Formats: sequence, structure tokens, C-alpha cells
Amino acid sequence: MENLLLKIGQNLFLIFGLMALGGAAVMVAAKNAVHSVMGFLLAMLAMAGCYLCIGAEFMGVAQLLVYAGGIVVLFLFVVMLVELSKAKEKGVFQRQTPFALVLAGAGVVGFVGVFWKTIFGTSAQEALTLAPGLVTQGEKLGNAQMLSRGLFAEYLLPFEILSVILLVALVGAVVLAKTERV
Amino acid sequence: MPSMNLVLLISFLLFSIGVAGVLIRRNVLIILMCAELMLNAANLNLIAFARHSGTVAGQAFALMVMGLAAAEVAVGLAIVVALYRKKNSISVDEINLLKG
Repeated sequence: MENLLLKIGQNLFLIFGLMALGGAAVMVAAKNAVHSVMGFLLAMLAMAGCYLCIGAEFMGVAQLLVYAGGIVVLFLFVVMLVELSKAKEKGVFQRQTPFALVLAGAGVVGFVGVFWKTIFGTSAQEALTLAPGLVTQGEKLGNAQMLSRGLFAEYLLPFEILSVILLVALVGAVVLAKTERV
Repeated sequence: MPSMNLVLLISFLLFSIGVAGVLIRRNVLIILMCAELMLNAANLNLIAFARHSGTVAGQAFALMVMGLAAAEVAVGLAIVVALYRKKNSISVDEINLLKG
């Protein structure tokens, strides 16, 4: 029992990653749009778990708040607003589905082929392993503190530009979604 | 701590599922969700490389990508609602306003 728990703890990232892949597959394959959104939700929750596993605590919590809390609810609202019964008549998948799937499969095979040694080779595995020892300053400060120093000191200008973009998107969304005569 | 290869592999698989979804679905909403999934796969890569290099730049930019994705969803869903009002459908086959 303890052995099993230890193994689960060691492979937590793999478990979350597989959950994310499963949620994404459900999202793409589901016929009902609400089921798709649920698959998306599962994928986003699992991604938050992945972020937590690779030592990005702040990003994991932000992922939970932004995606699971905000974006999924927005998607559900729009699914509720638009009527989807007409979409079912012509089928949910495009005509080019087989070709597209073959293309995506070829992409996967090509990637694995090119990076075969990087991914599965024993010699390369050592070099690319995550090195927590590198984060000397970060361990003392904690993830959120370190991130805030980066955001508000080093990358202040991109951060401010992002806030302007968010404002523009807010105004744009209101203008696009309002009715003509108002 | 997982190895870098595993992180890269999972992120690439998520990205390719997103690409496949964009290519095969007719529903605009699901295409938007697939775009979000691709952005998330890129985020996973950014965070993994930030951890690998021991700096914070990757995480900072992943946070910015997340904010940008939120803006994209807001505008995209507004466009979907406007489109539904105009065409009474959200299938990409019906959206051919620019067709000559």
C-alpha cells in the first residue's frame, strides 16, 4: 500500500498529463457541445495539476481561477445562448476529417521520429532532466514572490501592455455583442 | 519531479490534439476551445523551460499568455454571439461572408 502511494506520488505529473490528454480527446470527439465543455474543464484542471507538479504553484492556482473559474463558465453560457440543434443535421465533423487525422498522426510520428533520442534515449535523458538545484534563489523566496519580482521589475512594460490589451478586449467584446439599435 | 522529456511529450500531444480539433470540428465554439488548448500546451512548455533554466521569465510570460487567452476568449465568444444573431448558426460551413 505504501509502495503504491509512493509510486503515485512519483508519477503524479504523468497521471495529470494523461488526464489532460483524456479530457482533450473527449473535448474533440464529443457530439454534444456541453460534453465538450466538460472535457475542456477536465483538461484545464489536469493542466493546473501539471503546473503544480513542475514547481509553478502560482501558475497552477491562476490556471484554476482563470480557466476553471472563468473561461469554462463563459463557454457554458454561450453554449446555452446559441441553439445547437441545427448543427446536428450535417454531422459534427468536417468532410476532411480522415485527412486531418492522418496529418495530425503524421505530425506526431514525425516529432517522435526527429526527437527520438531526446525523448527516449538514455544519454539525453540525463541532460534534460529538470534541475531543481538551479533554482537557488527561488527556493529561498518562494514561487509567487519570485514571479512577482519578475513581473513587476524585469517585465513591467509587457505587463502594462497586457493590461491595455485586456481593456481593449473588454470594450471590443461589449461593442461586438450588443444589439444594433442600442 | 518529472523529467523534461515527459513534459515536452505531453505538451506536444496536447498541442496536436488541439490542431486536430481545429481541423475536424464544424462548431465554432469547439474550435475556440481547441485554440485555448494549444495556448495551454505552449504554457506548459514555457513553465517547464523556466524550471529547467532556473529563471522566472518563462513563468512570467506564461502568465501573460494566460491573460491574452482570456482576452481572446472574450472577443471570440462575442464574435460567436454576433455571428449567431446574423446567420442563425455557428457552423463554420455557413460562415462564408467573404466568399466571392
